Amino acid sequence: MQTLQDLILRLSEFWAREGCVLQQPLDLEVGAGTMHPDTFLRVLGPEPWRVAYVQPSRRPADGRYGDNPFRLGKHLQFQVVLKPSPHDVQQLYLRSLEAIGLDLADHDLRFEEDNWEAPTLGAWGVGWQVMLDGMEITQFTYFQQAGGMELKPISAEITYGLERLTMFLSLSRSIYDMDWVEGLSYGQVRKQEENELSRYYFEVADVGFLQQQFDGMEREAGRCLEAGLVLPAYEHALKCSHVFNVLDARGAVSVTERVGLMKRVRDLAVGCARAYVESRERLGFPLLRGEGDAVALVAETAQETAQEIKNAAR
Amino acid sequence: MPRGEYLLEVRSEEIPARMLEPGVRELATRVFEELMARNLAPREVETGYAPRRLVLVLTGLPEREPDREEQVLGPPVRAAYTADGTPTQALSGFAKRCGVAPGELSRVQTDKGEYLAAIKKTAGKPTAEVLADLVPRTLAGISWAKTMRWGSGEGPWVRPVHGVVSLLDGAVVPFTFFGVAAGDTAHGHPILSPAPFRVTGAEAYRRELGRHAIEVRPAERRRLLADSMRQRAESLGGKLVDDPALLDKLAAICEIPGVLEGRFDEAFLELPAEVLATSLRDHQSALTVEGPTGGLLPCFLTVMDRPDDPKGRARSGNEWVVAARLADARFFYGEDRKAGLARRAEQLHRLAFHERLGSYADKSERLAALAAAICDELGWTAEREAAVTAARLLKVDLATEMVKEFTSLQGIMGGIYAREEGQPEAVWQAIYDQYLPATTEDRIPRGRAGLVAGLADRLDTLVGIFGLGLIPTGSKDPFGLRRAAQGVVRIALEGGLDLNLEQVAVEAAKLYGDRLTRGAEQILDDLRPFLHDRLRYVLGLRGYAYDEIEAALAVGVTSLPDLEARVAALHRMREEPSFLTVVQAAKRIANIVKDAAEQPLDPSLLAEPAEKDLHAAFQGLRHEVEEAAAARDYDRCLQRILDLAPVLDRFFVDVLVMAEDPKVRQNRIALLQAIGRTVSRTARLTEVVVDKAEARGKG
Repeated sequence: MQTLQDLILRLSEFWAREGCVLQQPLDLEVGAGTMHPDTFLRVLGPEPWRVAYVQPSRRPADGRYGDNPFRLGKHLQFQVVLKPSPHDVQQLYLRSLEAIGLDLADHDLRFEEDNWEAPTLGAWGVGWQVMLDGMEITQFTYFQQAGGMELKPISAEITYGLERLTMFLSLSRSIYDMDWVEGLSYGQVRKQEENELSRYYFEVADVGFLQQQFDGMEREAGRCLEAGLVLPAYEHALKCSHVFNVLDARGAVSVTERVGLMKRVRDLAVGCARAYVESRERLGFPLLRGEGDAVALVAETAQETAQEIKNAAR
Repeated sequence: MPRGEYLLEVRSEEIPARMLEPGVRELATRVFEELMARNLAPREVETGYAPRRLVLVLTGLPEREPDREEQVLGPPVRAAYTADGTPTQALSGFAKRCGVAPGELSRVQTDKGEYLAAIKKTAGKPTAEVLADLVPRTLAGISWAKTMRWGSGEGPWVRPVHGVVSLLDGAVVPFTFFGVAAGDTAHGHPILSPAPFRVTGAEAYRRELGRHAIEVRPAERRRLLADSMRQRAESLGGKLVDDPALLDKLAAICEIPGVLEGRFDEAFLELPAEVLATSLRDHQSALTVEGPTGGLLPCFLTVMDRPDDPKGRARSGNEWVVAARLADARFFYGEDRKAGLARRAEQLHRLAFHERLGSYADKSERLAALAAAICDELGWTAEREAAVTAARLLKVDLATEMVKEFTSLQGIMGGIYAREEGQPEAVWQAIYDQYLPATTEDRIPRGRAGLVAGLADRLDTLVGIFGLGLIPTGSKDPFGLRRAAQGVVRIALEGGLDLNLEQVAVEAAKLYGDRLTRGAEQILDDLRPFLHDRLRYVLGLRGYAYDEIEAALAVGVTSLPDLEARVAALHRMREEPSFLTVVQAAKRIANIVKDAAEQPLDPSLLAEPAEKDLHAAFQGLRHEVEEAAAARDYDRCLQRILDLAPVLDRFFVDVLVMAEDPKVRQNRIALLQAIGRTVSRTARLTEVVVDKAEARGKG
């Protein structure tokens, strides 16, 4: 019997062996692992990067008070970023599935077109949803653009939906029934939280307070950018994004407001992305000085890429 | 003996299903065209594809390009020799460049005099050399719907490339493609048979793929899938619910066309069949099976990229997902029914119809008002209430959980919920059918309320978007306005809606208040030709000739059923022997009166018998024509006009319209003006094309 905890341990171990930094979840509310600065910012610029981490991801509008056996307002993603994308990245991914105990010879695995786009991050990518026996278990994306900038080198992002995968491997009938760890179900660990978060997001959240928060966070992000503090600026941009999602779930965003608010989040994200590349350039793109094949490969084009990114930023 | 066989296989990561067919077609076409231009056309071109490979096989290729000879002009003869006959510097230089002795040059006569010339021979390149340049260039140039980059920035191409087999009669035609060297090694299925194998030619390639159960011919994959699905459905005691588009997709997402059969809990059969089928299709790419009594059986069929499922894992996985999806659908169904359409309607103000045209709540209000106006115009008092209720509820299902999950159920779901809430049949059917007709094959909505609601919805959209000046151009039609306009035309025509669409459009524009940036007249100026284009198309599909349609359109459109009655009458009357005479007379009249101002007719000035007869005949039928037109009896209307044919004919033979006396002349013009108006009561006959052969045959 496969537990959620087993899955996290095995995936962590596998990707750590492949040279990934085993990062920890971002300690802020985000909608997806992609928004973690170790993905969104690290895919920018010429520096190579490999990272893996679990990211609790909040989608307030998807909450179902803990009643729906398949839907959560907050779920766990296992996120892997490989930059540049290695030539055998699909093979690596297949091996990661074997590492979690799947004998692929017994299953049907297909890669179906599914492109990814995040307008609020000025980002898009090309890739697939990976279907295992008819179940979507992974989003596999080659990032093409982020923060409104063309990327070079290209990063591969692999996002496993942990609850889905665990549920599927154990063929559980409900998210809440599957084991987090033997003897303790997912429901015992998280059901109260799902219920209360749904109530908060849908019924209780104070709209006026949240709107003030949005304005305040946006201002603060701008102040941070002016002070040359990219990461704090980005954190505040993420907070804006989350507040927007809560307002949306609360039904407090009208048609006309929606477009405006999304643009404000996008402007912050794009501003942070550009400032990040500049800040790394000022530091001399320090990760380019490391050793290893991936780094050498990128180093050849580093100067050219840096120039292109600067041009794009203008 | 070389067979002139070239095998190309490009292996990549999974190419999206929708791009495979156009990609391969473009590759084959471009390669063929360039080979043909170089006199290297193959006898046969075969293509194949699967998600991970594109295949091209050319057979009967010549061994090499033919050698080419071309004449190169040198110096003129007068500048080629010195006075004593020895070659000049110019001549010997030219001969040297051409690699021949001056004596071997020939003389040719040109416009500018006599010149010396050499024959330059270029040896044709071997086919392999041509392919080595042509193939990678063509591959790189395929215009994919979407491309990507990978790694350190390679690309752009549709997906990362992993291997190329490029063999001409068994020998590698070398090139590199995005860093991958072409060779003679292929791979089977990445999980079931990943070991590489060497290929010597197309036949060996097919045989080897067959051993790995891979089928690269898409039509064959589709046939295999469809056949075995039908058999499975029969063995389940039912009949496959055909879905050609889904079968196409399934055939393009596998290399090995294995059929997966699964079952779901019978309890889910309580869900509407539309929901079951949509959930299975959209989420699981699965087809359904209809039982002997009409309802669905609790099973589904889809594809797996493997020949069999010995441990049943693929099946149990799919069944688990289907169960989860259907439980989800049941949850949405329950939630939506608990909330009711009235509560969902409150959420419409949060759904944008268009950022500048407001929300769906705004649209619903407009639709209710527009539906009422249409019913009033048509005098449909009995249907008014149902049409207005349907129009107000039309878009409510956009706020339901079910439609948010399955957008393709929009309309259908609203109809089902309205039915369950006890709305009258006229109302729920109007909601259910609102997106009909979506294609040329679709029927129009059932019932009068459905026709009114469907018309109101489309006209509201057309007027709103046109009112912002966003008129579709070329292939760009992001709001689907052509389809909407075609819907308007078909609903009005086939539904027999006898009303002036332009008036309805003006009303629709009024309902937008100050949201539109253009006035009603300006909107109509663009909308009228846009609707007429669709009208021409739809009437053309119904078998009318384009000149018949133009002739009827030219006298104006009051309502579409009226227009079609006129087109139809014209179409039938065309076979009458006297028709041609009338058309020719109408053309003559039009020519004569075209620059003349309106003249009053004075019967006392008519002198010659032929014009008197014409006037008398005209007086006799003018009233009848008007009466027939008013009664929409356009057959009688045209028939009466045809009765004029002999008198008209005689008039033109006997009478000179352009008489010297200006009074007589003006009076004759006045007579023709009056006749011209009556003759064009049904259609502007001058628009009718008279084929010369037809004219001779009948004249």
